[in-house]
Amino acid sequence: MSTGPGPFEQVYDRHAVAIYRYVYARVGNHPDAEDLTAQVFVRAIEQLDTGREPGQIAAWLYRVAQNAIADHWRAFYRLPLVGADHVAPGWEPVDESGKAAAEPDDRAGVRVKALLRRLPDHYRRVLELRFLERMSVAETARAMGISNGNARVLQYRALRRAALLGDPTDG
Amino acid sequence: MVDDERPMTDAADRFDGYLEALLGNGRPSPEAVGDNDEAEMARMAAELAASGRPASDASPDPAFIEQLRLRMRQADAGIAAVRRPPPVREQPQPGGSTRWRLSRRQLLQAGLGAAAGMAAGVIGASLGSQAQRRAGLGEDDQPLVAGEGFWTEVAHLDEVQPGSAVRFSTAAFDGFVVNDGETVRALSSVCTHMGCTLHFRPDWQDLRCPCHAASFDLAGRLANGRVTWRSQGAYPGDARAYPIELPDLVRPRVKVEDDAVWVWTAQA
Repeated sequence: MSTGPGPFEQVYDRHAVAIYRYVYARVGNHPDAEDLTAQVFVRAIEQLDTGREPGQIAAWLYRVAQNAIADHWRAFYRLPLVGADHVAPGWEPVDESGKAAAEPDDRAGVRVKALLRRLPDHYRRVLELRFLERMSVAETARAMGISNGNARVLQYRALRRAALLGDPTDG
Repeated sequence: MVDDERPMTDAADRFDGYLEALLGNGRPSPEAVGDNDEAEMARMAAELAASGRPASDASPDPAFIEQLRLRMRQADAGIAAVRRPPPVREQPQPGGSTRWRLSRRQLLQAGLGAAAGMAAGVIGASLGSQAQRRAGLGEDDQPLVAGEGFWTEVAHLDEVQPGSAVRFSTAAFDGFVVNDGETVRALSSVCTHMGCTLHFRPDWQDLRCPCHAASFDLAGRLANGRVTWRSQGAYPGDARAYPIELPDLVRPRVKVEDDAVWVWTAQA
């Protein structure tokens, strides 16, 4: 009947990799990023009107992705959060969000670097070695001249301080 | 140094297990997170981990992308399949009311005799004789009413085109009259899981539960359960199978008479 990709596949081709990167930048691992990306597009199959404007489709996809990420993190909290940041996916206009949605991936990375600069030296150092240089605890400990146990405590404190400085939801 | 040093060491060791999973690109478990502060730390760690990887490492696995693309293609094909012209009558018009008006006009133009013929045709493809019709319409359906019941008219046959469903409500029973292209049935509109009200999705030809996303086919059976999933493959539109099996929807007895669909139900 029809040749070429159907409407869902077209939406997918256009947005799949960008949505994946957006999710990955916020969950930090591939298995979860794959799950959440799949959730977004399966939701699209069910609810997305592919006849919408391209900008609206992009905004819808990113809004669903945001909700999926929020739901994902909700499982990490020991007390139920009052779900203030949970936006029901709909078609209400989001000003400029088509634009914001076009390149939101880099913002997380930029924010992380700004945040690192605000940390005390030894906190920044341990996080850089562990997360940016991707060293093991033992390598990090050696590089900093401390014990493995102290390296773990230091990274724990550094992360706690970083979390206090910057709420990831702000970005 | 400080007296919370010991608990801090324990927490730091435990949380390092979480970080090892994250940095090893595995799936870190929420179970390793002890409190809400650590939940915030986990989110921070996730962003740090992602930003610390080169861009190529942040890209999706091509196999994953291809697999999900197949799901999208399946959805495109699924919609094309259920939108195929119904077996009886002419091409459906988009939008139920337009279609109804058109066929109504045709009925009026064709006159009463032809109308009766066409009406029979709606259910007639597989239900030629009166006896067969009765079998196709109701015999395996549960008796809804134990004692005194009565036939109540719930839909005009015109409204129940192949591939469509019409909501009806009587004093004792709410449901849909559905036509799967071969058989006209009445089905309860109450999900057999928690009792939420189902809605009809023309694109998927199912009755869908808004509460936990169970889908029932137009024969009233769970369509996206694990058993069906295993025997007939993935249900298009769902990421995973509905986790539990559910009883069929209640199917009250129906008959077609005078171009109308009647349901056997109880007096209020």
